[in-house]
Amino acid sequence: MRISDLMKLAFRNLLRRKARTALTVIGVVIGTISIVVMVSIGIGVNQSFDETIMQSGSMTIIRVQKYGSIYDDDGNWIGSKEQVLNDSVVDQIKGIEHVKAVSPIINKYIRLESGKYSSGCSLYAMDCEVFEAFEFPPLQYGSYPTKENPSTIVLSPESMQRFYYFSGRKSENKDIDPLTDKVKMKFQEYQTHPRKKAFELMFTDIAMMEQTDNYEYSYNIYMDLDYFREIWTKYANTLTLEDRKKAVASIETYEEIKINVDNVKNVSQVQDDIEKLGYATYSEMQYLEPLKETSRMLQMVLGAIGSIAMVVSAINIANTMVMSIYERTKEIGIMKVLGCLVRDIKRQFLLEAGLIGLLGGVVGIIISYVLSHLINKYGSGIMGSIVGTETTGALSVIPFWLPFAAAAFGMLVGILSGYFPARRATRIRAIEAMRTEG
Amino acid sequence: MEKEPEKVIELVNVRKVYRMGNEKIYAVDDVSFDIKKGEFCCLLGTSGSGKSTLLNLMAGIEKATSGKIIIKGKNIIKMNENNLARFRQRYLGFVFQAYNLINSMTATENVEFPLVFKKYRPKRRRKLAREMLIKVGLQSRLSHKPKEMSGGQQQRVGIARAFVAKPEIVFADEPTGNLDTRTTIEVMELIKQMARDNNQTIVMVTHDRSLAAYADKIIHILDGKVQSIEVTERDKQENMQAHLKEVSKKLLLERGGEMTAEVPEEAEKESAATELQEEAETEGTISGKEGKAKPGGNAPEPAGRNATDNRE
Repeated sequence: MRISDLMKLAFRNLLRRKARTALTVIGVVIGTISIVVMVSIGIGVNQSFDETIMQSGSMTIIRVQKYGSIYDDDGNWIGSKEQVLNDSVVDQIKGIEHVKAVSPIINKYIRLESGKYSSGCSLYAMDCEVFEAFEFPPLQYGSYPTKENPSTIVLSPESMQRFYYFSGRKSENKDIDPLTDKVKMKFQEYQTHPRKKAFELMFTDIAMMEQTDNYEYSYNIYMDLDYFREIWTKYANTLTLEDRKKAVASIETYEEIKINVDNVKNVSQVQDDIEKLGYATYSEMQYLEPLKETSRMLQMVLGAIGSIAMVVSAINIANTMVMSIYERTKEIGIMKVLGCLVRDIKRQFLLEAGLIGLLGGVVGIIISYVLSHLINKYGSGIMGSIVGTETTGALSVIPFWLPFAAAAFGMLVGILSGYFPARRATRIRAIEAMRTEG
Repeated sequence: MEKEPEKVIELVNVRKVYRMGNEKIYAVDDVSFDIKKGEFCCLLGTSGSGKSTLLNLMAGIEKATSGKIIIKGKNIIKMNENNLARFRQRYLGFVFQAYNLINSMTATENVEFPLVFKKYRPKRRRKLAREMLIKVGLQSRLSHKPKEMSGGQQQRVGIARAFVAKPEIVFADEPTGNLDTRTTIEVMELIKQMARDNNQTIVMVTHDRSLAAYADKIIHILDGKVQSIEVTERDKQENMQAHLKEVSKKLLLERGGEMTAEVPEEAEKESAATELQEEAETEGTISGKEGKAKPGGNAPEPAGRNATDNRE
């Protein structure tokens, strides 16, 4: 038989029992909706977690901070302790397995000036060799500092925004473009020697990071640690004698040691190893791990609910096909006697079952889009209370592949559940079939 | 006969055995005969004689237990189901007692159906189906469904369907079993005419001795065995119309009278003509509905008929 004839016959047979076909299709529609909506919620929840993670920095980062937090066994904060972070600690951490990169960090709050406008921001001095290992974002222009050329200052987009100017009662804001506007930085920590010129650093060799969701790379300014020591020494020379000593001493220990672990799975292990060395650590992981767990559970439960509905609709299709074959026993007998190939009889029933599945899948997807929209509009509060966090992003996300997958799945379910009835149809013997009424 | 026509169907020692518990039942027992191209062959026998089973074996609908059935030079017993289906598409047509039309389809669609399996394009097969329906005189019923037609009309659709693909062999299983006498005559003449036009071979199964008169060759079957083969030689080309008329007239006379008082084959028509009745009785044919092929089954058959058979 021609494919077009098979199709025509299949459509015709489905239309012969409109109510039954419609009911079966509705079964598949419900199955598809439950799968698509459930999966989309799972994806949506997961995505908002991922966004949260991205905003709070990479999941593989562990920090050892100067003022380390101490937690009890249940994870509650009970106090903090001061830890001496120097190069020997850095070396010890470098020796731990699964550590991809380690960098000591000196963090200073600096003042930025551009003409009459000024602003403030955090300056991070890090080992320029590990910038790449810490997954710094791509640059809009310029290049990251290297050992050969360490003087590049890496700016972030928002560090150059909203410089302000006060004059009397008025205040003005201005976004600075460091390529055209002159920008200089000042340290503010100590008193400048009255007879010396205050330290200033003009931004000449600069690079600009691209805008990312990660706040670390959105607001802060980065430079190489050695270059920082160089300018800090220059700065120290402009200070009063008393302050100069303090300033020089202040950079002998680090504010923080930042560690990047090779894989998210190893974060807690590395964290334990560092704590064995006697240092308190901090990572985003330790907060997000239980949330991730909840999200995974939620996804599994939702998927299971969706699958149950689909299994029910598969049984439904099989039932419909069996009924249809009973009704058409005589017809099958006639077809066989008239020279219809067994293969074509099988194909015809599979096609009918597949069409039910496909039709249900397509209608189900359309309704799913509507439901997804409604969930995103009204369901945020309800879901927020279940998951425990108020998610900012869409709650139900239907990725582009989901409708295709659902339609294909619907059809597959149809064909699979139509397979045994179809095989049964081919086994009907022609003479007996023709004797039945129908 | 100058030239011997080719053998289209050849049966050699064909057996069909059914098992019923421990009992073996020989529905068809060691049957051998052949049918030539263009022949109108009638398998005549009582209900349960195994004649329908024999037809089913020849059509490949049932598998023979042993023996050879050679159709168009091929032993169909050896064929698998797929090849059989293709074989049926190419060479065989079927007319059934119960018409076996598909109720959800119109007359045209029913006639088209065998062509669908032969992968004809829709336009071409529609045209052929229409032509065929017009040929059987149903030009006004092209898009009627079977339920909207009389028995005779349905059987005409059945005949159109059997002949539409121009098969070489048409099997007819009690084609007039559900029809009254007048319609029977019409249908028989139609089948005969169609077969003659394309030199097709007809194999018809019937229990009705008077219908057998249409045939060129009558094979008497009893209890699964061939009892006798009767060949009627005629000058086919010239006397076709006259012959048909003669047989039909006789049929009408017989049916009009008592079924038991069967007129012998060579009886004079004039004497019977006086008993002609307008209303044709059909009881005889209805009681002859073929059930399962049970050899030795004692379906109620008119006693006279059995007597005639045994006479052979």
